[in-house]
Formats: sequence, C-alpha cells, structure tokens
Amino acid sequence: MSSRRSRQSTAGVSRISDDQIIELVSKLQQLLPEIRDRRSDKVSASKVLQETCNYIRSLHREVDDLSERLSQLLATIDADSAEAAIIRSLIM
Amino acid sequence: MKRWTTKREHQIYSSKLFQALCRSRRTSSSTSAKELHQTADRVLAITAKGTTRWSRAILAAPLTAGTNMKKHKKAKVTVHTRLRKPVVNREKRKLPVVERKLRALRRLVPGCRKLSCNNLLEETSDYIAALEMQVRAMTAITEFLSRGEAQVPTDRLGSIGNM
Repeated sequence: MSSRRSRQSTAGVSRISDDQIIELVSKLQQLLPEIRDRRSDKVSASKVLQETCNYIRSLHREVDDLSERLSQLLATIDADSAEAAIIRSLIM
Repeated sequence: MKRWTTKREHQIYSSKLFQALCRSRRTSSSTSAKELHQTADRVLAITAKGTTRWSRAILAAPLTAGTNMKKHKKAKVTVHTRLRKPVVNREKRKLPVVERKLRALRRLVPGCRKLSCNNLLEETSDYIAALEMQVRAMTAITEFLSRGEAQVPTDRLGSIGNM
C-alpha cells in the first residue's frame, strides 16, 4: 500500500506518513453516519475524507437553514414576554 | 465520545443560545440569519470552554456585519477546473488526491489550516459532534417557537432535549 502512495507524491513535498492517514481515515469512518452504517471496510481514504467534508458542509447548511427560520420566527413573535417561560422549558 | 451528546449540554447550549438571541434582538431591530448563525457558533465555541482549536478560532474571528466574507469562498471550488481539462495528467497534479482532500478538510474546520494529521482528527471529531448538537438544539428552539408563542403545551416539555 505504501508503494502506491509514494508513486503519487511529488518530490520535495513533505508527506504525512501513511500510518497517520490510515489512522485518521479509520477514525473518521466512525464519525460518518453513512459509512458507519454500511459497515464496509473497503472504503478508500479519499472517499472517507470526501464524505467528512461533505458531512461538515451539510451540517453547516443545516445550521444556515435553521438560522434563517429562527431569525424569521424571532422577528414575528414576541419572544421577550415568553423568554422566561421558554428558557425554563428548555432546561427542564 | 461523550462530549456534546449529553442532555445537560444540550439544555445548557439551547438555553444560552436563546438568551443570547433575545439579547441581540433587544439591541438591534432585526437579526439577520447570518448574525444568528454567527451567534450560534460563538455560543457553541464558548460552551467548548477553550479546549479546542476550532472553538478558539471562532471566538478570535472578527464579527462580520455584511455578506462580504462569503464572496471569496466561491472561488475555491476546484470541481470546475477538473471538468474543464479533459486530459488528467497525474504527474502534473500538484498534490495527490488524499492530500488535497485533507487540505479541504482543514479549511472546513475553523483554525485548523496548518494542523497535523493527528490533531486534525481530534478537532474534526469534536467539531462534528458539536455541530450535530448545534443542529439538535436549534431545531428544538425552532419547534418550540413555531409551536405557539407563549403557550407551551405541558406534555411536550419532557421531550425537549431528548433528541
């Protein structure tokens, strides 16, 4: 496996060791819902990294959408008067 | 990974976030989605208590008022350049695929552009767990508010935070 990597790398570029990449990738696999559920050991490193990036981006987008909805909701309702009640409910 | 998954943390974050949002509404007339997202990120970073690089990076970043920051991000999309060139010469590619994806990941996690592989793993897993909690908490607040302003049905109180 290491021979494949060394063919791809260019001279002069400081490479991260293969072991580090393998470890990073296998740990990341545990975090990603899809790959974890599929239970496949044959997922390539670049696929895991790609999925990680995609997952983080999709989480960002979700928070964007939620921010959008929340800002609209807060504008329309009078949250101040209900603030104490809402906070009490959130922490129970 | 216990962190970011407990009910207590969820409750603390969602109530702190809601308080912060009410505060910002009192000071300015309207809160844009962008400002709201920023507030959500900052409260999330504060909840991390300075233990991770991504949280420190978020708190150190200047507050952006407008949409200027988003513009230059679009230029970094690499997919189009690959499609434009029909012939892919492996020797001429600057970095191998894995290295490029690592770089992309580094750009997504705040404050991690120069991070080593091992630390990047820690930061990424913590960041993802935190983001997931952020989504759960904001969803809970949104459902709460949209269900009915001051009237909160008592039978739903117990389910908040169990997501």
